[in-house]
Amino acid sequence: MAKYHERINWKKEARLLPGYIIVILWCVFTAVMVFWVFGASLSTSREIFSGKVLEFATGFHWENYITAWQTQNVSVFFANSLLYATVSCAGVLLISAPSAYVLSRWNFTCSRTIRLGLLISMSVPAIMIIMPLYTLAVQWHLKGRILLIALYILMRVPYTTMYLLDFFSTLSRSYEEAAYLDGCPPAQTFWRIMLPLVQPAVVTVTIFNFLSVWNEFFMALIFTSDESMTPVGVGLLQIVNSMKYTGNYGGMFAAVMIVFLPTFLLYIFLSEKIISGVTGGGVKG
Amino acid sequence: MKKNKSLIFWFMLPTVLSLLIIYVYPVIRTVAMSFFKVESLTASLSKWEFNGIDNYIKIFGSNSFRVSMQNMLLIWIVGGLLTLALAMLFAVILTSGIRGKKFFRAAIYMPNIISAVALATMWVQYIFNFDYGLLNNVVELLGGEKVKWLGTDMKFWAMTISYVFGSVGYYMLIYISGIEGIPADLYEAATLDGASKATQFSKVTLPLMKGILKTSITFWSINAATFFLWSKMFAPIETEESTIVPVIYLYDIVFGGKGITQRDAGAGAAVGVVLTLIIIVIYGVMNLMLKDTDLEY
Repeated sequence: MAKYHERINWKKEARLLPGYIIVILWCVFTAVMVFWVFGASLSTSREIFSGKVLEFATGFHWENYITAWQTQNVSVFFANSLLYATVSCAGVLLISAPSAYVLSRWNFTCSRTIRLGLLISMSVPAIMIIMPLYTLAVQWHLKGRILLIALYILMRVPYTTMYLLDFFSTLSRSYEEAAYLDGCPPAQTFWRIMLPLVQPAVVTVTIFNFLSVWNEFFMALIFTSDESMTPVGVGLLQIVNSMKYTGNYGGMFAAVMIVFLPTFLLYIFLSEKIISGVTGGGVKG
Repeated sequence: MKKNKSLIFWFMLPTVLSLLIIYVYPVIRTVAMSFFKVESLTASLSKWEFNGIDNYIKIFGSNSFRVSMQNMLLIWIVGGLLTLALAMLFAVILTSGIRGKKFFRAAIYMPNIISAVALATMWVQYIFNFDYGLLNNVVELLGGEKVKWLGTDMKFWAMTISYVFGSVGYYMLIYISGIEGIPADLYEAATLDGASKATQFSKVTLPLMKGILKTSITFWSINAATFFLWSKMFAPIETEESTIVPVIYLYDIVFGGKGITQRDAGAGAAVGVVLTLIIIVIYGVMNLMLKDTDLEY
């Protein structure tokens, strides 16, 4: 019986062989790319150009990372991105969570309009809003890190509100009724009882907000005027552009790895949550 | 539960203000600006001169803009076909019962998670590099002669291929969730009726995924119309004809690029409006072509 079972399985696997080959090839290609860049980040420019990246004949050149971190200013870019991502994740929750809750609970004047507005603004391309925002920033004398953080917070509001709204509407109203009978004021009911109940959704949406701000490029390119407030994406572009003069390929690949690693590590630990979040939220057939 | 008006007001106020400040006001102003002669973004309203559709006439008369639209169209069609076909292929393979599905799914989606600037740098500086790049190593191994992948004639395709690589995973996830939403007994019934795998795919899977296909095509169209980052990474210092796309054109004429002597914010706004109209038209056409027939299953 067992043998019979096994034979069927082998047949099945053989039938699936072309599929295996295709996905394995794709993954091998991805892995080769990442490993080579990692190898190059530990090699000298000479080794890179003579095609001896994974031999490490002269040892591991960890000093590439030090060069990238210190002299190429990656530490500044990194700290900026971390600041932008964490502060805007918290800020957007403060704005979006209360509104998502109210929208999921009551119908009021304009509640349909606001929902529709949130949905539409999720697909408004950035090019339609950056020009007037640039004008506003100049008129109101907003610049530097505060400006970028404010923009990132405001830009993530529609997505975050819509995502949390779905989860608040699944909560039973009996929680609020019980809290009301116990004399808990409605605002406290929200912060103390309802918000903690959607914690898993808050975590997922925060991961997505973090990734999106960390990887953001377009706004950063337009609104950062000097190196001290540049986030990693634009910073890396500057490093690549200055390579013509520095010729430090090892340092450039080290910078690529430093920018690549944080979100990659986050992904290794949270890939299941991230993947189920991609199709769980806004995407509907 | 009683409606609490002050709670609703205070809880909604920040979100409503955000929408007004960052979406409603800017979109209205951009649309208005596209009908005015505005040189600099910082020019005050009193310096705006109404000039009808002159900005639109100007951009469509510009050679760079026409080339950028052609490039965008190619990315939309060729890149779109490649991305969506590969995504569908991977989705079908991963839902066919292979082992390690979760690993493969995570690995193929990975490029979507990491910084696109880092990913694009890996492609430009390693895969396509002339001296030590992966592609030229493979070409030499096969006895061929090294190719200038980033030369003028190949650059556009190099950019499109690497962008496709970075995008496939996202659409694959959408398709996987679509395929997994189709009940297994439909396939069992089809198998009993003697339908081959290919027939099952075209007669069961595709029709039931109409809504998902529509969503994915709409998303792809938005991404193609607002294509910017990869073009910037493949031509970081000077805009080139081979990789220019409308948003790069907009960026150059509004914020100044090499060879731009006269900034023109009004024309930039017109580019934005044209791209948005394209997105709206595609959305409308998709809704007409792939009507949700509300199949019960």
